[in-house]
Amino acid sequence: MKVEAILRINGVAVPVEIEPHWSLLRAVRDAVGLTGAKEGCDDSECGACMMLLDGEPVNSCSYLALQAQDREITTVEGLAAPGELSDLQSSFLEHGAVQCGFCTPGMLISATALLRRTQDPSEEEVRIALAGNLCRCTGYGAIVDAVLATAAGRAADSVP
Amino acid sequence: MSASLATASTVEQALAQLAAGARPVAGGTDLVVGARQGKAPLPERLVAIHRLAELSEIRESSTEVALGALVSHRRCSESGTVRDRLTALADACAIVGSIATRTTGTLGGNLMNASPAMETGGPLLCFGASVTLRSAAGSRSLGIDELLAGPGRTTAASDELLEAVSVPLPPAGTGSCYARLEYRRQMEIAIAGATAVVTLANGEVTDARIAMTALSPAIGRAGEAEAALIGSGGEPDAIRRAAQALAAAASPISDVRASASYRRAMAVVIGRRAIEAALARARGEWVPVPASTALHGGVR
Amino acid sequence: MTATAQRPRLIRQDGREKVTGAGRYTADVVAAGQLHARFRYSDHARARILRIDTSRARELAGVLAIVTHEDVPDVLYGQMVKDRRLFAREEVRFDSDVIAAVAATTPEIAQAAAELIQVDYEPLEAVCDPELALEPGTPLIHERWASYEADETMERDGNVLGRSTIVRGDATAAMAGADVVVSSRYEADGAHGVPIEPRAVLAQWQGDRVTIWSSTQTPFAARSGVALTLGIPESHVRIIVPLLGGGFGSKCDFHFEAHVAALARKAGRPVRLVFSRREEFVAPDHRRESIAIELQTGARRDGTLVARRARLVLDAGAYCGEGGFFAQLAAMHAIGPYVIENVDIDSRLVYTNNQPSGSIRAPTAPQTCWAVEQHMDELAAALELDPVELRRRTLIEEGSESPTRQVFGPVGIRHTLERAAQMIGYGQPLPENEAIGVACGWWPSFGMPSGAYVKLNGDGTATIVTGAQENGSGAVMGLPLIAAQVLGMRPEDFSILCQDTDAGPYDSGSSGSQTTFNNGRAVAEAAGEVAQRLRELAAEQLEIDPLDLELAGGEVRVKGSPDRSVAISELAAADAEILGKGSGAVPEQPACSPDSGCLGRLGMESFLEPQLITHAVHVRVDPETGVVRVLRVAAAHDSGTIINPIGANGQVHGGVVMGIGQALTEGMALDGHGHQRNPHLLDYKLQTAADAPRIEIAWIETPAVNGGPNGSKGVGEPPSVPTPGAIANAIARATGRRVHRLPMTPERVWEAGR
Repeated sequence: MKVEAILRINGVAVPVEIEPHWSLLRAVRDAVGLTGAKEGCDDSECGACMMLLDGEPVNSCSYLALQAQDREITTVEGLAAPGELSDLQSSFLEHGAVQCGFCTPGMLISATALLRRTQDPSEEEVRIALAGNLCRCTGYGAIVDAVLATAAGRAADSVP
Repeated sequence: MSASLATASTVEQALAQLAAGARPVAGGTDLVVGARQGKAPLPERLVAIHRLAELSEIRESSTEVALGALVSHRRCSESGTVRDRLTALADACAIVGSIATRTTGTLGGNLMNASPAMETGGPLLCFGASVTLRSAAGSRSLGIDELLAGPGRTTAASDELLEAVSVPLPPAGTGSCYARLEYRRQMEIAIAGATAVVTLANGEVTDARIAMTALSPAIGRAGEAEAALIGSGGEPDAIRRAAQALAAAASPISDVRASASYRRAMAVVIGRRAIEAALARARGEWVPVPASTALHGGVR
Repeated sequence: MTATAQRPRLIRQDGREKVTGAGRYTADVVAAGQLHARFRYSDHARARILRIDTSRARELAGVLAIVTHEDVPDVLYGQMVKDRRLFAREEVRFDSDVIAAVAATTPEIAQAAAELIQVDYEPLEAVCDPELALEPGTPLIHERWASYEADETMERDGNVLGRSTIVRGDATAAMAGADVVVSSRYEADGAHGVPIEPRAVLAQWQGDRVTIWSSTQTPFAARSGVALTLGIPESHVRIIVPLLGGGFGSKCDFHFEAHVAALARKAGRPVRLVFSRREEFVAPDHRRESIAIELQTGARRDGTLVARRARLVLDAGAYCGEGGFFAQLAAMHAIGPYVIENVDIDSRLVYTNNQPSGSIRAPTAPQTCWAVEQHMDELAAALELDPVELRRRTLIEEGSESPTRQVFGPVGIRHTLERAAQMIGYGQPLPENEAIGVACGWWPSFGMPSGAYVKLNGDGTATIVTGAQENGSGAVMGLPLIAAQVLGMRPEDFSILCQDTDAGPYDSGSSGSQTTFNNGRAVAEAAGEVAQRLRELAAEQLEIDPLDLELAGGEVRVKGSPDRSVAISELAAADAEILGKGSGAVPEQPACSPDSGCLGRLGMESFLEPQLITHAVHVRVDPETGVVRVLRVAAAHDSGTIINPIGANGQVHGGVVMGIGQALTEGMALDGHGHQRNPHLLDYKLQTAADAPRIEIAWIETPAVNGGPNGSKGVGEPPSVPTPGAIANAIARATGRRVHRLPMTPERVWEAGR
C-alpha cells in the first residue's frame, strides 16, 4: 500500500506516493523521476546510487525512502544549477574522468562530500573517499586527478 | 513486502511499535541490503528509529564511554576518546565498508545484525562492553558476550530496543588494536580478524584480552591466548604463543572467501600483528588508526 | 614520433550530460504503460524438462504475459554454431538458461509470477570440468551437435565446440635437441566483464514493427538476433542504444532483446527488463573463459626458442554464443609475439554445463599471456638469463616470420619492452618482498566493414551519423577529431548520431577494439566526400582548379594564398545539404601460409596490424598472508598513431586496473555443479580507487601501414592483456614461488609459498 511522503530533493519539496519498503533510490528514480543516481548492485558495493543526505554520502539503494523525509537530499542533478557545471564537474570533463559515465554521479557525490570535509585532501584521502564507488572504465587515475585539481583550484581562488 | 513504516519520535513510541511486532530500522544498511538480496524479506512492520536523538549521543565519563545505538561507525572512529582509549574500536569502525557505509551504518545495527564477521564485536567484547536493552517493561544490561548468540542471532527479545553500548575505559598503560586480513584496502569484510587489548605495567603484561573475528561461529575471546601473554613482557615468543593459541581456539569454516586452513593460518598472522600493535600502543608508540593501513606492510 | 601531449585534448561531447545526471541509460528510459519483465531461469545446470506449467503464475493479479518456447518460432541461434533457443524447450544446459519470461505491472509481481511457474525436471549429471568433458564416455552437452548449422571451419567433435592447431616444423625433434626444456601447467579461472551498468532492455511494438532500447555493444547483431529468433524481417526491428554504461565485451552480441520483444508483443504493452547485479553475473552468455594451459618450450643456450608445444583446453560453457573463435585466438596467444622455430599448438574449446563464455576484453589473451609470460620467466631462469634479456632476444621485429609464415611489417614490441623497463626502473634495488615483473603481449586489429555519413548543416556545422557504438570508451566521441582534420573544421563543430540501427550504416559495434580502426576510416572517407564537394563549390566561386584548394580554419582556401578563401558556412548555406558517405576499404588480412597441419583456420592465423604491449609492474607481497599490492605500473604500447590521447590513455588506465583485478581478486568461484558462488561485488572483487596504483604510459607510435586513420591501430583491449602476467612474474620474483592458478588470490599466493 503506497503512502504519501514529501521528499526534499535538490532544494525542492516533492510530494510522492511510495511503498514503505522502497529504497530512497527507487523513490527518487521512479516516483520523483530523477534518474541521475544509478542502480549498479544490490548491496551497497558499487556506489553508483550515492546521494547526499544532509550533506553526507549514502548508498541510496540501501536506505529507506521514508527515512529521508525532513532531510536534505542532494542528487547529481543538484550539484550545480541547471545549465551550469560545478568546478568539480568541469574538472571531471577536463581530466577525462568520465568514460561510460555510469559511476560518475556517485563519484561526484563522494568527491563533493570529501571536498566539503577537507579542503586540501591528499591523494590517499581522495582514494579512500572514492573507494566505495567502483569504476570499471577509468582505472580511477583521472578521477583522482580531477578531484585533486578541483581542490587545488579552490585553494588558488581563495588566496586573497 | 513491508506493509508499514512508522517513524518514532520518542523511545517510548519506538518501544510501543516493537511491542506491537515492528522491527527497528536505523541506517538500514544491513536490513535493506538483506531484503534486496533475498536473504530475508523486509519485516511487515518497521519502526524507524533514526530520529531518536538520545540514541545518537556519545556520553563520556571518567570511567566509561556510552555510545548510543545510532552512533555511526564514522562518528565512533572520529571520537577522540575512542581513538585514544578504545583504539581497537576506532580501528574497527574505520574499516567498515566505505565512507558512505561508515556514515550510514550504526553501531547498534551492526551489533544486532550479529554477523560473525562484524568488525566492532571483537573490540567491544574485549573492552568488556555491555549493552542496554529496553522494552516497554523496563531496561536490562547485558554483556556483549551475553548478547551475541550465534551467526545472525542475539539474545535480545523482539520487543527490546538496543539503546546504548557502554564501554568501560581500560586502565592507563592499555593499548589495543583490531586488525583484519584485507584482500582490498577498502570495501572489505573480515575473512580473519583479531582484537588485542593489553595492559602493561612496568613492562609486564598485567592484562590481556584477545578475540577472534570470522574465525568461529560467533565472535569470542581466546582465553589460552590471553594466558600466554599475561605475565610476559610482550616479547616475540610470548606473542607467538598467544597468536598460536588464538588460532588453536578458532573453528574456522571454508567458504567462498577462504579455506578453513588458510583462515587458521591467518589467525596466527593477524593475531600476532594485532597483539604487536596493541603492545606498541600500550608503550605509547604511534600506530595509525586504522591499524590495518600500517600492519600489513603498508602501501603508500 | 610526436608527443601525444601535443595533440588536441578533446572534451567528449556526451560528458556534460553524464556529469549532470541528465544523460539517459536504458534503465532510465520509460515508455508509457510499460510493464516489468522477470525471467524464470533453469534450476539446474543440466536437466531434461518434463513439463512447464504457467497456470498459477498467469492467475496472479498484475501479470499480463508469460512467454515460453511455445510462443516463439523454434529457431536455433548462435554466431558460429547455432545451438541455442531463446527459451529452453527440452533440456537446460546451464543454471541460467531461460525457461520463461513474465511481464507484470511491477517487478515484484513479475518476480513472484516467475517463481510460481512450475517446471518439472529430470536432473542429469552436470559436466562442469572441460578436461573431463573431453574424456570418452562423458555425456554430450549437445546430443545433436552434429546436426547444428555451423561455420564449416569449426573443427567440431562431440563436446569439442571448436579446435584449432598451429603446427610448424617438427617440435618434438627440436625439443629433443634443445639445450634447455621447460614445462609448465597453468590454470585460469573464469572471470567477468562487470560493467557497472547491469543490462536493460525496453521493447515497444508499433504495429508489426518493434523498437528496442537495449544496453548492447552491438546493435546490429542484436537486430539480426531478434529478426532471426522471432522470424521477422530486420526492417521491422529497430535497435536504439541510449547511453551505455560500459560493456567490456559482456554486452556484445544478441542477448535478451528478443525475449523482451516477445513479451511486449504478447502483452500488447511496452516491457522493460532491468537486470539485478546477480543476474548480470550469472545469466548472460558472456564471461571470460577458464583455460587450462600446458606449455613446453625448448631453447638454445643463447635463448633462441627452438620449439614450443602447447595444449589448451578452454571452457566454452553451454553454448557457442559469439565465442566460437576462442580456440584459434588462444592458440595464437600461446605463441605470443615471439620468434619460435617449431611449434605444435593444440587448442580446444569445450562445451560444459557452465555459463557460456563470450568475448570479455581481449578474450583468451590475458589468461594465456599470463601463463606464457610466466613460462618465459621460467625459461629465462633455466637459461640463467635475465627475463628482459630473454625477451629482447626472442621478440618479433620487422621482417620476422610467424609460425604461420606471416611476415611482420614494422612492429614496436621491442621498443615497448625497453621503454617499460626504463619507466619502472628495472634492475633497481628494491626493499624486501618487493619486486618488478615484466610481460609482453599482443592483440590483433580487426578489419571489418563499417559505415558513416557526414552531413554538412546549413550553418557550416556538421553531423556525423554512424553505425558505430559508443560503449563509454570515447571511441565514437573521438570521431569528430578525424572528420575535423579532413574538413579543416573544429571537432566541436560536429554532432554525433549513433547507435540507432535505423539511422546509421552497418557497423560491427564496440567490439574487437575496432571503432576508430574501422569506423574512423569510414568517417574519414565520408568527410572526404564532403570536402570534395566543398572544393568543387569553392572552385566555382574562386574560379580555380579544385586541386589547388585546401580546407583549413573553417574555410576552403587557395593553397599558398590563404587570403583567397570562402567560408565553409557560406558554401553550406548556398547549397543543398551536402552529404558524404563512407565505408573505407577493409584492410586485407596479412598473407600467411600455415602448414597443412593447421586446423580450425578462422582467419586469425595471421594478425592484422598487431598491437604490441609490454607492462612492467612493481609489487609488494605480504609473504605471511599472500596479499599482493601493486605499487606501480609502467605500460608501453604500440597501438600505431594515437588519435585521441585522452581517450587512449583512459583505455590503458582502465585496462590495467581491470588486469590487476583479473590478476589478484577477480575470479568466478564455481561449485563444480555449474553454479557460481560469488555472483556479487563483495566476493567478486573489483579493484577500488584505494587499490589502484599510479600508471605511467608510453605510446610507441609505429604508424600502421595497413591500419586505421593516420596509421592508427585499435587500443581498447590490449591494456589488460599483459598485466596479470607481469604481476605474476613480480610475485614469483618477490617470493621465489610461482602461482599456477589465476586469479592469484592471497590464499593461492600463500599456498604457493608454503
